[in-house]
Amino acid sequence: MTTKTISDGIRITAVQMGIAAGLLAVVAGTFFEVRPPEAYGICMACHGRDLLNWTLNIVFHTHLTVASASAVFPALTTLGVIFGAVIGAKTNGEFRWYSPESFFKEFVYGALVMNFALLAGGCSIRLLLRSAAGDFAGVVGFGGMVAGVIAGTIWLRWRAVR
Amino acid sequence: MTTAVVTLLAGAVIGYLGQRSRMCFVGGIRDFILVRDTYLLRGLIAFGLTAWVAFPLASLVLHSNIGPFAQADAVTVVLTIAGGFGVGYFSTLANGCPLRQHVLAAQGVKSSIAYLAGFFVGAVVFHVWVASLVSRVLP
Repeated sequence: MTTKTISDGIRITAVQMGIAAGLLAVVAGTFFEVRPPEAYGICMACHGRDLLNWTLNIVFHTHLTVASASAVFPALTTLGVIFGAVIGAKTNGEFRWYSPESFFKEFVYGALVMNFALLAGGCSIRLLLRSAAGDFAGVVGFGGMVAGVIAGTIWLRWRAVR
Repeated sequence: MTTAVVTLLAGAVIGYLGQRSRMCFVGGIRDFILVRDTYLLRGLIAFGLTAWVAFPLASLVLHSNIGPFAQADAVTVVLTIAGGFGVGYFSTLANGCPLRQHVLAAQGVKSSIAYLAGFFVGAVVFHVWVASLVSRVLP
């Protein structure tokens, strides 16, 4: 009898993922010269911005900002992550279309997170990566992010118990 | 060219592992505050510690230092703190960091696809309006 449950799939803990992602981020940024800027091995916001702006610059001859690392060919982290996650979900029976009724709210959150991330110079991952590389601005940015998460969590809890 | 290939491959591995582990870089702190669950928080710490150890090792092997980082002035520090706070706050409300949203979108969660649409519209909005506005308002 082969009934497939979610627990049948390949299981990876968050710690294993963190170690692997940390190594990949450092190796990509140093050995494979995904820089400048420094500590640029992985960033979901900046790399996505690079890919989008690079494409827009080619197609519409605009002059939108692109990091030097992505000047010739853009970072394709966004596509890689989506591809890897689709493989992970499909091979373990976790892919299914699901529509929560919060499209517009999520759209606005996405735009806000991108704007604040570009202001800070990195998404949550790169702020931590910059801190690990010894960038003072990265440390204060990561501190701000932790404070933001705490504030957001307290707000969510307050709204839930009200 | 290396940038594109390396980030595509590294991204694919990170996307796969992120999907299997449900990793989220803001969820760890949130879960710890709400229910004292440390599963995701340990992943966050593991990432930071690994990178912290691997950076000096890499510069030892390559015989070149990381950085130097630009000396951050007061304006940059304030902007970075404000930006970081916004990332943390709105990522928490959106139910996941940017990486988690990419993974959820790839799993078929349609609100996360809407999040990604907002994410990329936001990038254009930032570079066309917000960046010039910020540089005009600040000294």
